[in-house]
Amino acid sequence: MSAGYAAVGWNRQKKIYDWIIFGFCVLYLLTFVVLTAFFNPDYTFETVLIRSTSTLAVLLLHIILSIGPLARLNKKFLPLLYNRRHLGVTMFCIAAVHGVFSIMQFHTLGNVNPLVSLFTSNTNFNSIAAFPFQALGFFALIILFLMAITSHDFWLHNLSPKIWKTLHMFVYLAYFLIVMHVMLGVIQYETHPVFVILISLGAVWLIALHLIAGTKEVKKDNQKFNPGTEGFVYVSEANEFEEGRAKIFCIDRERIAVYKHDNKLYAIHNVCKHQGGPLGEGKILDGCITCPWHGYQYLPHNGQSPPPFKEKVSTYDVKVSEGKVFLNPNPYDEGTERPGASIN
Amino acid sequence: MSKSEFYIGWMANAPGTFAKHAKRVLLILFPVALIVAYLLATSQKKFSSANFEYGKLTELTGIYFNKPVPLLKVYDKNREPITIPLVGYGKHGAETAIMEIENERKTSLNGKEVTLKGTLLYGDGKTILQIDKNDKPLVNIGSGSAFSVVERDLGTQTIRGEIVDPKCYFGVMKPGEGKVHRDCAIRCILGGIPPVLHVQNKIGESNYYLIVGPGGEKMNEAVQDVVGEPVSIEAKVMQQDDWIILYTDKESIKRISYAQLRNPGAKVIACSSMK
Ligand code: HEM
Ligand code: FES
Repeated sequence: MSAGYAAVGWNRQKKIYDWIIFGFCVLYLLTFVVLTAFFNPDYTFETVLIRSTSTLAVLLLHIILSIGPLARLNKKFLPLLYNRRHLGVTMFCIAAVHGVFSIMQFHTLGNVNPLVSLFTSNTNFNSIAAFPFQALGFFALIILFLMAITSHDFWLHNLSPKIWKTLHMFVYLAYFLIVMHVMLGVIQYETHPVFVILISLGAVWLIALHLIAGTKEVKKDNQKFNPGTEGFVYVSEANEFEEGRAKIFCIDRERIAVYKHDNKLYAIHNVCKHQGGPLGEGKILDGCITCPWHGYQYLPHNGQSPPPFKEKVSTYDVKVSEGKVFLNPNPYDEGTERPGASIN
Repeated sequence: MSKSEFYIGWMANAPGTFAKHAKRVLLILFPVALIVAYLLATSQKKFSSANFEYGKLTELTGIYFNKPVPLLKVYDKNREPITIPLVGYGKHGAETAIMEIENERKTSLNGKEVTLKGTLLYGDGKTILQIDKNDKPLVNIGSGSAFSVVERDLGTQTIRGEIVDPKCYFGVMKPGEGKVHRDCAIRCILGGIPPVLHVQNKIGESNYYLIVGPGGEKMNEAVQDVVGEPVSIEAKVMQQDDWIILYTDKESIKRISYAQLRNPGAKVIACSSMK
């Protein structure tokens, strides 16, 4: 959470996570290589390396892109989300092996520089079937590279979370480029339908998952509240709150988390300063509201991260009257102290 | 999950239900990895059995010709010619290596009996020799020698197939043809490796044709846009010993669809049966 470039701490869970990623990749690569060698003994080392790494990277990319919506639909996927960037960096490294080896294999030892060759060999940019698919892979790899090198929180702070998030949304462009790289590349070559079936299934799965998670979110946002007096609106009964937990209300497009802590209600903006995680789905730990995504913390009464951290979110006024909870959706400046409302 | 269970990544241990769920996810993901690897690995097209004798040098004695492409004619026990086109190191033709030898020896190799040392590539009845100046390819130059090249005019024909670079196709790369290999084939052909038309008839037999211009000039640059694509070529067809040569020009090479390629015309089969 600090803005310094601190080394990433590796706790037990991170280690387990990384070992699982490692095991997954080794299992995939070995299976691919051994089966190719067995069923297709005239293979060359270069081709099996190029193909096993590229297909593994695409499989990992599908997992990475599934974790976000899955975690929105079911909180039990959060352990996969917490260290997702490790998965992302791993995927980039594997894709880079594919890309670099492809450039070496198909473009070195020629009459021009390999990178020049990449863009000047096949120049059928105006044809679909003949399109230079390798260029698409190249641009996808550049995006994955930029994401991998900026994955540390140091960059999140230096670039500002908004720019960082925008940069990381380019993963969807990368995904699209990769799908086209495959459609206009290997699918124009191989005759077995499994290639086109798998890549299409992957796309359908990802689109469906994003749509389902998105609709759920939109439904929540469209909750209707009756306008109340002096800017306050009735949101809920006081006895519906659980100690140390929150309920999220979306009023006039403002997502607000109302936490119950020591029998008082506090309201803060629901959007975490780190990567926009839903603070209202977190929990109070050691007196701090803790973001469920990566564990950033905020004090309930002023929305500030405990020192030495500097993050601040907006706070709001809450009222409890005759067991009913009223909320004022006008935000105070980030980090403004609010007294909270006693439930009794 | 019990409502108060809460996961946060920096805790040393995930609460029970989270850990259990994570295990269940892994029990799905690992088999998915196995299945995807199995499906993809076993569905790849069969690689050709062509061979590149990487790291092994072979000496061959025969007559060198610089037309229609640099090649060595080696004669077997029955004095039957085996024509071996020459290619250079990496994605280069043999011209530079030959020129360096000629400059060094201050003589032309054309029509002379020579012994060359290089790396063999072969597949589907054809042989190619890679000569690399680092391997000191010239072992011996003999005198001008008596030879006879049997030529047969097969008339003008239209032939359908795919233009490949014979170096990758006959062993360096698997696959050495088609869309996935297209960029590389273009780079090889632009680097001087002679373009070859690969033709397949309905029962899967292949034949190979060297492509040159109407007067025997190089067509390497002219074919750039159609390498690795289905094409039809109208050409004057000449058989020269055991290779067939297509004398054609840029305008006579047309891109066609894969469907048209898969149903080659009768003339193609006639040519294939020349093998
Ligand atoms: C510099 C960047 C890249 C280059 C030059 C490149 C080049 C290639 C080439 C030449 C092939 C065909 C290989 C063959 O099947 O024989 C290929 C296939 C493929 N590439 Fe890339 N690629 C690049 C980046 C990427 C990236 C970033 C991804 C995804 C993470 C990717 C995914 C794939 C996949 C899935 C295949 C199909 C593999 C198969 O044959 O089964 N590529 N690429
Ligand atoms: S979004 Fe990362 S900690 Fe909140």
